[in-house]
Amino acid sequence: MKVRAGGLVAAAAVVVVLVTVGSAAARSSACGTVTINEQAWAGSTANTYVVKNVLEKNLGCHVNITKVAEVPVYQAMADGKTDAILEDWGHQPQWDQYVTKQKTVVRAGANGVKGVIGWYIPTYLMKQHPEFKTWKGLKGKETLFKSPESGSQGMFLGGDPSYQQKDQTLIKALGLNLKFVSVGAEPAQVARWTQLYKQKKPVLFYWYDPQYLNATYQVSRIQLPKRFKGCLDDEKLGGDPKKYACEYPSYTLLKFMSKKFASSGSPAVGVVKRFSWSNADQNAVAKMIAGDHMNPDQAAQKWISANKAKVNKWLGK
Amino acid sequence: MVRVTTLALPAPPASRVDRSGEPLIRAAGVWKIFGRHADRIIGTSDAELPRAELRAKTGCVAAVRDVSFDVWPGEVFVVMGLSGSGKSTLVRTLIRLIEPSAGQVDIAGKDVTAASQAELRELRRHTSSMVFQHFGLLAHRRVIDNVAFGLEIQGVSKAERLARAEKVLQLVGLEDSANSFPDQLSGGMQQRVGLARAFAVDPKVMLYDEPFSALDPLIRRDMQDEVIRLQHETGKTMVFITHDLPEALRLGDRIAIMRDGAIVQLGTPEELVGSPADEYVENFVRDIPRSHVLTIRWIMRDARPGEEDGPRLDVRTNVRKAIPVIAESERPVCAVEDGRVVGVVDRETVLTAIAGESA
Amino acid sequence: MAVAQPAARAVAAPAPRPWWRGRAGLVVAVVLGIVISYFGWRNDVPWPASLTWNSLAAHLDSFQTWLSDHRNLPHPSIVFRAFNGLASFLDDIVGWLTSFFFKLTWIGTTVLGVLVVLRYGGRRAALGVAAAFAAFAAMGLWEPSVRTFALTFASVALALAIGLPLGVLAGRSDRFARAITPVLDAMQIIPAFAYLMPIVILFSVGPGAAVATTLIYAIPPAIRITALGIRGVQPNTVEAATALGATRLQTLFKVQLPLARRMLLLSVNQTILFALSMVVIAGLIGGQGLGDVVTSGLYSNPALALLAGVAIVIMAIALDRATEAMAIRTDPAHRHLTEGKKRRLRLYTLACAAAVGLAVGLGYAFGAGSVWTGWTGQSWLLRQVQSVLDYVQNPSTFVFHITNPIGNFIVQYGLEPLRTFFVATPWPAMVFGLALIAFLVSGLRPALIVAAMLAVVGVANEWTPAMDTLSQVLVATVLTLAVGIPLGIWAAESERARRGMRPVLDVLQTLPQLVYIIPFIYLMPVSIVPGVMASVLYASPVVIRLVEAGIREVSPNSVEAAGAFGATRAQVLLKVKIPLAREAIMLGVNQGLIMVLAVVVIGGLVGSGALGYDVAQGLQRSLFGQGVLASLAILALGIALDRVTQGRRRRRLGDLA
Repeated sequence: MKVRAGGLVAAAAVVVVLVTVGSAAARSSACGTVTINEQAWAGSTANTYVVKNVLEKNLGCHVNITKVAEVPVYQAMADGKTDAILEDWGHQPQWDQYVTKQKTVVRAGANGVKGVIGWYIPTYLMKQHPEFKTWKGLKGKETLFKSPESGSQGMFLGGDPSYQQKDQTLIKALGLNLKFVSVGAEPAQVARWTQLYKQKKPVLFYWYDPQYLNATYQVSRIQLPKRFKGCLDDEKLGGDPKKYACEYPSYTLLKFMSKKFASSGSPAVGVVKRFSWSNADQNAVAKMIAGDHMNPDQAAQKWISANKAKVNKWLGK
Repeated sequence: MVRVTTLALPAPPASRVDRSGEPLIRAAGVWKIFGRHADRIIGTSDAELPRAELRAKTGCVAAVRDVSFDVWPGEVFVVMGLSGSGKSTLVRTLIRLIEPSAGQVDIAGKDVTAASQAELRELRRHTSSMVFQHFGLLAHRRVIDNVAFGLEIQGVSKAERLARAEKVLQLVGLEDSANSFPDQLSGGMQQRVGLARAFAVDPKVMLYDEPFSALDPLIRRDMQDEVIRLQHETGKTMVFITHDLPEALRLGDRIAIMRDGAIVQLGTPEELVGSPADEYVENFVRDIPRSHVLTIRWIMRDARPGEEDGPRLDVRTNVRKAIPVIAESERPVCAVEDGRVVGVVDRETVLTAIAGESA
Repeated sequence: MAVAQPAARAVAAPAPRPWWRGRAGLVVAVVLGIVISYFGWRNDVPWPASLTWNSLAAHLDSFQTWLSDHRNLPHPSIVFRAFNGLASFLDDIVGWLTSFFFKLTWIGTTVLGVLVVLRYGGRRAALGVAAAFAAFAAMGLWEPSVRTFALTFASVALALAIGLPLGVLAGRSDRFARAITPVLDAMQIIPAFAYLMPIVILFSVGPGAAVATTLIYAIPPAIRITALGIRGVQPNTVEAATALGATRLQTLFKVQLPLARRMLLLSVNQTILFALSMVVIAGLIGGQGLGDVVTSGLYSNPALALLAGVAIVIMAIALDRATEAMAIRTDPAHRHLTEGKKRRLRLYTLACAAAVGLAVGLGYAFGAGSVWTGWTGQSWLLRQVQSVLDYVQNPSTFVFHITNPIGNFIVQYGLEPLRTFFVATPWPAMVFGLALIAFLVSGLRPALIVAAMLAVVGVANEWTPAMDTLSQVLVATVLTLAVGIPLGIWAAESERARRGMRPVLDVLQTLPQLVYIIPFIYLMPVSIVPGVMASVLYASPVVIRLVEAGIREVSPNSVEAAGAFGATRAQVLLKVKIPLAREAIMLGVNQGLIMVLAVVVIGGLVGSGALGYDVAQGLQRSLFGQGVLASLAILALGIALDRVTQGRRRRRLGDLA
């Protein structure tokens, strides 16, 4: 026992000295610390790092990045642990709860990117089968998309389980002979369809834009039935499938802030509110990061130096 | 049931043990039944069932059945039986390492069965002490710390307990190994540590649970000698459990033979060998050379007139030791008790006795 | 008839029973019955809607909303404030540890780690730790590694602080052990995804929440192994102490705990590994460190995610070896310290402490950073990993022409038909069939439990996904056994094979599940296959180790006796060792199933669908009720499978007790 006690005393002494020496750490300027949450997809990484670099370089803020999943991040904002998210594809239950009811999270406007969700096929297939321009063309040709998983039916490759989707109900509503196959998270889905793409085989899948991969792979969207009044998107509600028989809405991607951050008076609040760019802007940065594996900070700075005007607008100049 | 079998013939030899006072240990009607609702069996007719039948009927196992005995101060009391005869359970019920199902045990005038946990601890700390078959040493402590363990439990200061442990180690001849660890010692030496640990608390009663059965025969003999020596030097009262009859005969002042949880015979070594109570005991003692155990009392015949002036031997003399005297003497040898000739032994009687062994 | 015969019959050997009258035969008959019912009433008898409790999910959802609303009030109740305090306490511990390591500078941290292990664990282990530090630096993951270590350290310390006392209790009281075992089972089988959201509501996000999540998973092994250690102390030493009049506390502190030392340290070691396996999940709720790198990298930079996974493995193996070495080297029962040696060791300790101080001083003198930011090979490594990933993904290479048909075959002829079979078979046939099999293999009680558990699955409205999952679990288990049993036998027979396998098995057991799915996503992106492959990889080390241990533990006497009769090595193996190791092999089957089930949720992320998908979606799309119910179904399925395969082993143990 004594042996260890000796060691402990010595270690404790070292600790005490170090802590007292080190606690005089540096503090940041007026802007203080801003915490932005980066979501899992590449577009979100692009938003986050561009804003991070703008805040750090122009306002002297210290920017922390958290990487909390999409739903828990609302609680993180309610607690003030995360200050802002820059791209949300629609979480109505969370909005009801945190924004409307609890008022712990506040809206910060749109980020300018228009989100589109839909059914996609590779463009080469669209050229071979122009009838696939609308969903009606799929009728009777479903078996073209046969795969080991789908048996005698055609395969519809579903999206990441965490994404907004209603394809199972849509297939039923449209009376298509397709089997909904989930291959899980986005990387797995991408691996699946790109492999078929590279073999120039037919594949029908859930996809969206903006997406940096759309710069690498040529994909085309199938026109689903037009939206009608009372058309539903949330599969969970159940009911008559016919009510879901319309295309996905186009999404205005939204920004949110924690109440605490919004009322902090930090100059960063204005930048987060004004931040807005186009699909092309985001795709460009995302491609550098995820496609070319560039360091996210470098990619952001590269875009910033080429787009001074836009950045100045965000800064309110 | 078979109770203590007292032989009508001849009277037990005078012993070095003084049985005039109060016994140090008194066990009366001790039962131990393992299983559910075991306590409901005692006193019913089921209790009289043989073990296998009891188990089949109730699922309970009667390990100890209505055992009673007394042990006087300074006595070495051996309990002998085959494995499963209940002897180890019996010794544990004495200090309630296993709770007896019924019966009463008194040690040094204290009713152990009625003792509170605290009283029981006091008893175990100061009055009794036990040596185990598999030693039960603490592998993470030095030999001397193991020996001092009982004193440590009692709260004796470190310096004092180490000093006492050192003395006890000398007693068992292990003073050179005080700083060794148990795994560095041979089995025999480890059991010496076990002995020393038991002695270190200076108990009135020593309980041995088959202490030497895990040892080699030669070492076992050494250890038996050691126990005899320690017993002579310290005069402790001992209860000694064994399954080895020669060991029992060597050590025991009196021996209780157990079978299926009950005592089938209780007596001195001579009594067991000379007049086994039943076939079971007889089977046990059959291979024991009778001449080694019996005294000439067991083989003498009545003196005929004129034979009473031959060479004299005490009636308690071992037959084996008497043989040279008898062989040298032309006349029958007289067996003497209290200065009175009680019988004679001649070559013929000795030869008959020895011949009986090989039959 | 046989009045005169009993004696003769007792001597004659009983006639061998034909196999179809044995247990195996009856099981086959039951399976046949289920198959017949499938062909007779396929899809006709789905789980009836009247027997499901549909509103349960909604109730759970509104519970979560209630929780969140009350938690986020301007003045929450004392309960929530207590959780708040607890959360910031946990946050502070991790934060303090992290900044402590940062303040030591990277030099000081390295020297501290290496010297502590050198002093207490010896040269080999210290070398391992040094290599691990070098690897973190080379991979450019120094900072996340330190953060992950701080998180693990805090979690393990707390898990032990809670787990050891409870383990001691469970070791000393049968009743407590019986009461706590099902709770521990649930803590280990229920997927973390299910309770992530309530944890976030109570603890918010960040390291504190990550620690709380990790604790749920890491406490059970600490309790179990401690209890096992206390129970494993030779009863005669405890008896000896009791006979000397020791009190219960004296017996505990002077006899049981010191003698259970090896097991206690093993529980430390295992707790570390369990805690590390939660690092990735913790990344989802702001756990920071390597877990973050894995979860976010998975989408935008899989090569980096893989690299971070490797860093976790390196940390796990280094810590495993270090704690193991320290456990052995500091064991007083084997060290036999003399006073002189003790004095020298004390000096050694002081010297090490001084060296650490010196290193820290040097770090400050030369302005060393808090983390290593010098040269790293990260970009080079990433390029290599990426090129491998690209290669296996490329459909024009020969790898693809091997893996693609295999993947397609497994799906087309194994998984899909089996899935259809399980989903479409009438539910009464399934419930009674499985219960009957449990009865034949394990006895009445397990059979009743199986029936009850399947009923729970049905009532929770998870029948179809559960059957889907069950089909995948069975395929994965069969593959696991096909791989694990031969390898286990080989490892038992050949020392060289064992030594060769050990590091591979270590890697497979510590690699976060999410990480080794990555290569399979690219290698065989056919929906269900990566999940199955991952399950096989995850579960086979356990099977291999159990089979190996079982065969090695066959008494050498029996082997020697067989050898004396002139049996060949193969005969010894087939006729002596394997039959005698049957219990261990059955245990391997049992554990294999449970481990496979544990990967189900992760499988949901890579296309296994079914229960795993429901659980994952539960967290990610705020379908709390759905997630909980699917988790419940996984738990029920786990208990059912355990009971079906547990055999008569436990019953026999029960008889002995």
